[in-house]
Amino acid sequence: MADATYDAVIIGAGHNGLALGTYLARAGFEVGIFEKRAEEGGGLCTEELTRPGFLHNVHCNYHTLVGVCPVYEHLELEKHGLRYVRPAVQMASVFDDGTALTVHTDLDKTCASLARFSRKDADTFRRLYEETKGYLDMILLTLMYSPPISMKDITKALVAWGVEEKAEFLSVHLRRLSIDQFLDQHFESAKVKAHLAFHAACAGYSTDRKGLAVSFPLLAGKIDNWHLCVGGSHALAHALWEAFAHAGGRVFLQHGVRRILVEDGRAVGVELEDGSTVRARRIVASSIDLEQTLLSMLAPGVLPDAVRDDAARFPHMDWSFFSVHLAMNRPPRYAAAAFDPDVDQAWVVNLGYESPGEIDRHWQEVRAGRLASPRPNAAVNSLFDPTDAPAGGYTGLLRHFAPYALADGGPEAWDRVAREYGRRCIDQWRALAPNLTDDAILHWETYTPLDIARRIPNMVRGDWMGGLIDLDNMLDRRPSASLSQYRTPVSGLYLCGATQHPHGFVTFAPAFNALQSIAEDHGVERWWR
Amino acid sequence: MAPERYDAVVVGGGHNGLCAAAYLARAGQKVGVFESRHEEGGAVHTSEATVPGFWHNLHAQYMEFIDYMPFYHDFDLPGFGARMIKPQCQVGMAFEDGRPPLLIYTPDLAEKTHRSIAHFSRHDADVFDDIRRKVMAADQAIAAMLYGPRNPEAVVGDLGRLWADLGMTPADFGKPAKELIDRLFESTELRAVLYRQCLEWGADPHEGTGFAFVICCIWLCGIHYLVKGGTHMLAHAMASACLREGVHLRYNHRVREITTREGRATGIVLADGRAIEAKVVVSNLDIRTTYLGLVGEDNVTPEMRAAVEGWRFGPEHCLGTPSFALHAPPDYKSARHDPDINRCFYTIVGYETAEQVSEYILQAFAGRPPERPAAGTWVNTLWDSSQAPPGKHAMNGWYFFPKASDLSEAEWNDVRATYNARFLELWQRHAPNMTRDNVIADALYTPLDIEREMGMLEGDFGHGRPKSLSALAMGQSPSLRQGRTGIAGLYLCPGNGVSAAPGYIAYKSAAEDFGLPAVWKRDDRGY
Repeated sequence: MADATYDAVIIGAGHNGLALGTYLARAGFEVGIFEKRAEEGGGLCTEELTRPGFLHNVHCNYHTLVGVCPVYEHLELEKHGLRYVRPAVQMASVFDDGTALTVHTDLDKTCASLARFSRKDADTFRRLYEETKGYLDMILLTLMYSPPISMKDITKALVAWGVEEKAEFLSVHLRRLSIDQFLDQHFESAKVKAHLAFHAACAGYSTDRKGLAVSFPLLAGKIDNWHLCVGGSHALAHALWEAFAHAGGRVFLQHGVRRILVEDGRAVGVELEDGSTVRARRIVASSIDLEQTLLSMLAPGVLPDAVRDDAARFPHMDWSFFSVHLAMNRPPRYAAAAFDPDVDQAWVVNLGYESPGEIDRHWQEVRAGRLASPRPNAAVNSLFDPTDAPAGGYTGLLRHFAPYALADGGPEAWDRVAREYGRRCIDQWRALAPNLTDDAILHWETYTPLDIARRIPNMVRGDWMGGLIDLDNMLDRRPSASLSQYRTPVSGLYLCGATQHPHGFVTFAPAFNALQSIAEDHGVERWWR
Repeated sequence: MAPERYDAVVVGGGHNGLCAAAYLARAGQKVGVFESRHEEGGAVHTSEATVPGFWHNLHAQYMEFIDYMPFYHDFDLPGFGARMIKPQCQVGMAFEDGRPPLLIYTPDLAEKTHRSIAHFSRHDADVFDDIRRKVMAADQAIAAMLYGPRNPEAVVGDLGRLWADLGMTPADFGKPAKELIDRLFESTELRAVLYRQCLEWGADPHEGTGFAFVICCIWLCGIHYLVKGGTHMLAHAMASACLREGVHLRYNHRVREITTREGRATGIVLADGRAIEAKVVVSNLDIRTTYLGLVGEDNVTPEMRAAVEGWRFGPEHCLGTPSFALHAPPDYKSARHDPDINRCFYTIVGYETAEQVSEYILQAFAGRPPERPAAGTWVNTLWDSSQAPPGKHAMNGWYFFPKASDLSEAEWNDVRATYNARFLELWQRHAPNMTRDNVIADALYTPLDIEREMGMLEGDFGHGRPKSLSALAMGQSPSLRQGRTGIAGLYLCPGNGVSAAPGYIAYKSAAEDFGLPAVWKRDDRGY
């Protein structure tokens, strides 16, 4: 392209880049977003992967912070065409013995389902849910949608707010516990625990990892807030793009950034892969990974060595997702519907984990680079969004926790084993939903951790979370103490992507929080208050 | 709930719909575009059809109207990220027996084109050069015909003089293109290229389309651009331009009905039942779907019904699109005579003679995939490395196939599973390095897929054509002229090729009918 100048240059047109761009454009900035890929939206990526008209969310499928995240309202995304559905039966676990457990938007129904496995667990879940509801949205808003503070300060605040005294479930001890340990302390039924662990795992939390129990009450409180985006997750990208463009911003696709230009310690623009220069009058913000932003786009010597080391050491997720995308002519009918008919109307379905221990064994397998015996989760979005498949068709998704690099052959081995593993995942689905015979499946394609890395360059090593979820990589320690406040040692260069607090997923929080830092540094009028 | 209201709604966000929307918005109208798919641009479409990171254009491959397209220039699409690359060597044919290739270059490299054709026939080279120069000198008049001339009489006069200057008689006007090609050129190689080019622009060379051939084929052959990043980047720039004008783009919004009252369009109803009011409705869908599907049998006039009945879909313009992810680009036997065949934008592979092209076309039109699995091919990564991972190559091609309804779904599945392998075998005979080992993955997109994905009936990417010249004349009646439909306020803009002309014309007609500002007028443009 011809050389150009903007007030703000944003690297990456994922949801965080687009959201930050829109806020700034509405504050009067001239904003240009430069994206390496041929589509905007990053992980908000919907493809006709199998057959025409079957829309597959090849990355993000679940949006859990609708109604909490302030960005939806600030940017008036509904006016820009965004529509969500919140399925009434949100989740289910289907077990080999023909029983099933369902989670509903109606708490009474959820508790009634849990009570069939343990009345005590149902009561405990109700108390947990109601307790978190009491302060959850406030905590979420405070913790997620402002630049991070330390765990110590959070603890102090919880004490000051009196939460620590009044709470049955939220306590400082949580930071010493894994989610499994938390579940063992409070629940008795293996199946109830399996389901609660399953749901946390789907949200990106390794249930055996020490310290992650701190997040569990927050996750539990949102267990019934999983939304699907009508028209596929990419529809959210379109709404953001429209909001951004109506505010005067421009998105340039397939305009990858090669270098960030720094003069006198200040970021002054970028050089694109095609050699052109885009100057930034005020800021450069990167919504992509640290490796590209800090290690390859900045000239050596620009950053202090310690910060470069922090970026190089930044831990990625130690597991990724393997998916099977299916074009089907009927939805699954589970044998367990005889036990609980609602299971056929559930959105996110655990296909067979019976205990947290089983999930733990899979974490170990995955970390060792092996493929676990299939216990995929299943979602058929067309049950709730008829626009995602042709009339009479159903779009299916099976997803499984999986290693990026296989012990036998590394990441490249995925191209060899994917088809067979996909078939085994389908077999497991069929074992629980016998109507999914061969003639029910028109076509299926696999999508491996290697494909994730191939399609989205900043999902390094198939890391769709922008970095490990771990107590040592949270809050003011994510991605490192030196980089946690969305600023960098280079004046005018900001980080606004999934590497930042809180993490990846469609939270918009990294962008929203980076915006606060930028607003403070540049005297931006906070029109969104 | 009160119905939503726009000044103008556009049904379908293909490139013509976007073009109409952009001009209507610039003319001060509140515009909503309602698209049934999850992406804008219709056939201006690129997909990672084989392996992530390999980008394949599944429909439109090359842009031949960029220099003339008002939408592109009036809305500064380069300013929204559209970038065009114009390879010097534009169209070529490689031969299995290792003959020299036939190569056609951009018009500024006429000597190179001459040299290549002269290898087969000096006469052909001279004639081609002569026709090409004369046609290019009249390019503004031809473009004006396409985009709606400001001064129709003058343009008709210019084109009449061009026709005579080319040595053509009025009788030649309606003769089959093949007859004219055979009369003008003697070499089987050039004839073969031109038969195929003729079909590519929608004209069966065996039918009465002589005028279209001489004017369009020679004009367009050699002025192709490829879109950097894939064809869809152009759609994205078009959509960006619309958004910049304040247009609302709504995806996954299928339109169920176009509402009318007393012969006037009043708005649309969406598949989910929402009603939207508008005084101008522009349909980017084909005439049959628009009239019978959306306006409805009960509301179309006898004249509109006759227009639909005078229209057919296929067999021209029914495509199969192979996509290949490759380690290395093809290295043709013909390259030992001229290496440019390995750096040619559009390379035709699989024919040795003009008769084989003719037979290929007749077989496709007779309802079966051609026995000889020849193809037009593009390896865009030769110019734009961003369309594949580093060092790798992404290829697309076109097979001409029967219409979607000529084969059963099972038969198409079989074609999808087997035809690429047959092509690869033929390809390898032209370029020995095109072995199975050189192929990372491949996919085939059939006319049935096109019909289902794009709603293009029969997989006809031209949205059909009049069945006969008399049907064409019917379309010239005043109420059905220039995108008008016989229902006041309802306009049609489906098109053929990425010209954005139908969208431009539909807007101009709406502007005239509703007294909207003529934001399209430019002093330096006769259309």
